[in-house]
Amino acid sequence: MTPIDRRMLYHVNWPLVGILAALFFVGVLNLYSASGVRLEEGVSVEPYYQKQIIWGTIGLVGMLAFMSFDYRRLSAVAWPLYVVTLLLLLTVPFLGKTIYGARRWLDFGLFSFQPSELAKFAMLLLGARILSTEPERLDLKRLAYILGLGLVPTLMVIKQPDLGTGMLVLLLLGGLILYRGIRPWLFRTLCVLVPLLMPLAWFGLKDYQKRRILAFLDPATDPLGSGYHILQSEIAMGSGRIFGKGFLAGTQSQLRFLPEKHTDFAVAVLGEEWGFFGMMVLLSLFCAFLYQVAMVARDAKDPFGSYLAAGVFFYFFWQVLINMGMVLGLMPVVGIPLPFISYGGSATLVNFSLLGLVLNVSMRRFLFKQN
Amino acid sequence: MGVGLLQCLIFGLFCLFAVRLWYLQIHLGPVFTEKSRNNQLRTEYIFAPRGFLRDRNGELLAVNEPAFVLGLVREDCDNIPATLDKVSEWTGIPAERLKDIYTRNKPKVKPFEPLTLVPDLDFDLIAKIEGGSLRWPGLDILSRTRRKYIYGHLLSHVLGYVAEANEAEMQADPTLSMGDFVGKQGLENRLDNRLRGTKGKRLIEVDVTGRRLSEELQRDPKAGEEIFLSIDLGLQQLGHKVLEGKAGSVVVMDPDSGEVHALVSEPSYDSNTFTTGLSSAQWAELRDNPMHPLQNRATQGVYPPGSIFKLLMAADGLHENAVDPSETVQCTGELALGNHVFRCWKRGGHGTVNFQRALVESCDVYFYKLGMKLGVDRISSYAKMAGLGEPTGIDLPHEKAGLMPSREWKMKRYGVRWTKGEDLNLAIGQGYTGLTPLQVARLIAALINGGKVLKPQLMRGVAPEVQGNIPLTPAHAAMIKKAMIATVEDPRGTCRRVLTPGVVVGAKTGTAQVVRLTDELKRMGDNVPYKYRDHAWMAGFGERDGRRFVVVAMVEHGLHGASGAGPAVKAMLDALFLGKKELPPRDIEGAERPAEPAARVAVDPVEPQFPDPTHEPEVVQ
Repeated sequence: MTPIDRRMLYHVNWPLVGILAALFFVGVLNLYSASGVRLEEGVSVEPYYQKQIIWGTIGLVGMLAFMSFDYRRLSAVAWPLYVVTLLLLLTVPFLGKTIYGARRWLDFGLFSFQPSELAKFAMLLLGARILSTEPERLDLKRLAYILGLGLVPTLMVIKQPDLGTGMLVLLLLGGLILYRGIRPWLFRTLCVLVPLLMPLAWFGLKDYQKRRILAFLDPATDPLGSGYHILQSEIAMGSGRIFGKGFLAGTQSQLRFLPEKHTDFAVAVLGEEWGFFGMMVLLSLFCAFLYQVAMVARDAKDPFGSYLAAGVFFYFFWQVLINMGMVLGLMPVVGIPLPFISYGGSATLVNFSLLGLVLNVSMRRFLFKQN
Repeated sequence: MGVGLLQCLIFGLFCLFAVRLWYLQIHLGPVFTEKSRNNQLRTEYIFAPRGFLRDRNGELLAVNEPAFVLGLVREDCDNIPATLDKVSEWTGIPAERLKDIYTRNKPKVKPFEPLTLVPDLDFDLIAKIEGGSLRWPGLDILSRTRRKYIYGHLLSHVLGYVAEANEAEMQADPTLSMGDFVGKQGLENRLDNRLRGTKGKRLIEVDVTGRRLSEELQRDPKAGEEIFLSIDLGLQQLGHKVLEGKAGSVVVMDPDSGEVHALVSEPSYDSNTFTTGLSSAQWAELRDNPMHPLQNRATQGVYPPGSIFKLLMAADGLHENAVDPSETVQCTGELALGNHVFRCWKRGGHGTVNFQRALVESCDVYFYKLGMKLGVDRISSYAKMAGLGEPTGIDLPHEKAGLMPSREWKMKRYGVRWTKGEDLNLAIGQGYTGLTPLQVARLIAALINGGKVLKPQLMRGVAPEVQGNIPLTPAHAAMIKKAMIATVEDPRGTCRRVLTPGVVVGAKTGTAQVVRLTDELKRMGDNVPYKYRDHAWMAGFGERDGRRFVVVAMVEHGLHGASGAGPAVKAMLDALFLGKKELPPRDIEGAERPAEPAARVAVDPVEPQFPDPTHEPEVVQ
């Protein structure tokens, strides 16, 4: 198989790289402000933005690594990786480290590692592999089979408990299933059945998760708990108005009324300081970004590559939808960060690596014609 | 479904968030901007010191002193019940009481503002709380100022007192906030707007923990006005001393300016006890005291004037030409009208009396006859011109109007016609007529200043305010004055005891019957039970070197005008003209804080209701 050669460099999806660079730049700039705290004298900035740049650099290496081999080889790894992931997830409850009351981490001495991050990647590969070989739209049997494969790691992650990542794993698979398509009658049935079954999930939720949902429905019930998050985030956003309060001048963030302002609610800082104008720029960047990924999925020269790109599309799409939905008060508080904008080391690495995969698919789109 | 699905999703994502962003940032932008400002900025009011009160010589009467208050900022406190328990442990105030104070005040105080738990801290407690404040966030020691009345007992009826504003007052005046002091009684109440000053305003920027980041002064506090009273502290003290143990009133007034130099009412109370909040037990004790210390007898005590009223009769008689000063009347000690016999106070009568003699010896029969001549209508309309039956308008709340009866009044009040006999009773100041000591002082002032009815002033240097005039020619005025002087100087005069060397003194006594004398009571002489004894009046003036003053004394159940009220008038005249005056000792010792802080917390604070309605002197029929 061919490693990177000069011809491929011409075919690197430069628009996608450019958008990625723009998003990362906006993210770091915003993080600089979001990690600032105003004291009596001046602003003190915690160095999250520096760490983000370092992680971005590491992510760049990961991205190049994911571009350097032919992605079709990943098809063979799909099943083994899935099995390994399940095994690791199984060990977490016994060997895992507990942080913030959740057992999510495996400690390898030098670094900690979340098997749930691996679960997303494993699901992406397995989903792409299976669905790319489906000859027709899914019927009930195939759908149940694939969903079953997805539910096993999902439930294990949710039990940790990490509802956000668990949902993301399942949603990613769900997106891929829709991308493949299911039988029209089945689709229509599901459209009716799923909303009916949703309330049942209520009983499976933990108390704090129920409170978040109630707080979302009526923030006034819990103005100092999770309702507070939504309220302060809406105040930050809304008070930004058209052009924002200016860089480093957001009072909601600088005076720390906004919680989690460098992680889950980082985009609220941007909304406050750059206003509607800034938010529209960011939203357009995200849409252009998703559009480019979608185009890669369309132009990929084999189904597996197309499904890989579509999987990455859904991976980012759901995060943008859920995080911004939460910050804008359209969804309950779920701990899902906004790619490139929220601070997060391993998330940055994963984001860049997955884009490496997309670029990999994209630059090899002409190769196979000649073979 | 493929790529079309992805494009649809992107489009949906864009539309959803674009609309939501427009809604939040543009449509609701102003709303959220306001909310963000509320998060970030707090307005703080800066206390303006209340104006001091001084007497006419500059002696301090009411000042402000620092006091320390324990407050609780709910927003900063993470465990309120535990904090309350701790405060209870420190102060010894039962936890339920603190909880009670907390729940009562909670709706009135914003979460980030301190809620007053303990209104007064001593230094031991301050040290204890300061030491523990790190472990008990939310507790805050606030420095306030508290009104201090240096002579709490001497001027309580004049100064009144301040106390924390109640709900209604805060609603009426938006600049007032929880814990502010307002004048509730006396001058503190009437002059509240001048004394209070204007609070300063400060805009504070805070972060989420409430830490101050910056502040901007928007308005400087403006201290309240310092006010000089017309009261002379020494005179006031003397008045209280003379009346000690009795119930009564002394008024000293400048007949030319209307300035009141002393306004004494005994017994009195300590204004300082009201500033920290009175417990219902303390309040009940004051309210139910049989001597009625809360009543300001000078303006709220209404008494029959007795023979004092003869001065007004004389003036009216002269005005109506019903009196010929040289004409004499035979007093046999009684006068028969119909089948009723009206007696003179002197058994056996005064013999032959003329105008002056009648006043000097206070002959009832002379004035019975004058009363018959004038009739109720003329007497009552003349009295109304002298301001009787109307409040004097002094700057004190709840002043009583007294009562000046008339033919119409009786018809309306009792549905019965006025009788001839009542003319006679009216003429000697008995019957329905009721006057306050201050009204009497104003009447005497009008008689010697040429007929000007002045508003009694409690502040120094205020332009005299003439409320009306009584028709009185200088010749008539001189005759009345001469008679009053003779009452003091004549060997047979009723006011000999106020004779003061070197000073021109004129006076008139009055003895007001509380009940109709029965034979039984008459036999008892001066041993009549206290509550049946007559009220004693003496009203007069002193004059030397162009300075002149009206002095009125009234002693409840003081038996005889001269002996009951005379000493008070004499003491005032001596002080005014002979300089026999002593400054009172500052009685703040008694008002010092008790050692037990718990005792300072009024658990069931009451809002004292004035005027005290229970006490009305009985009116003779």
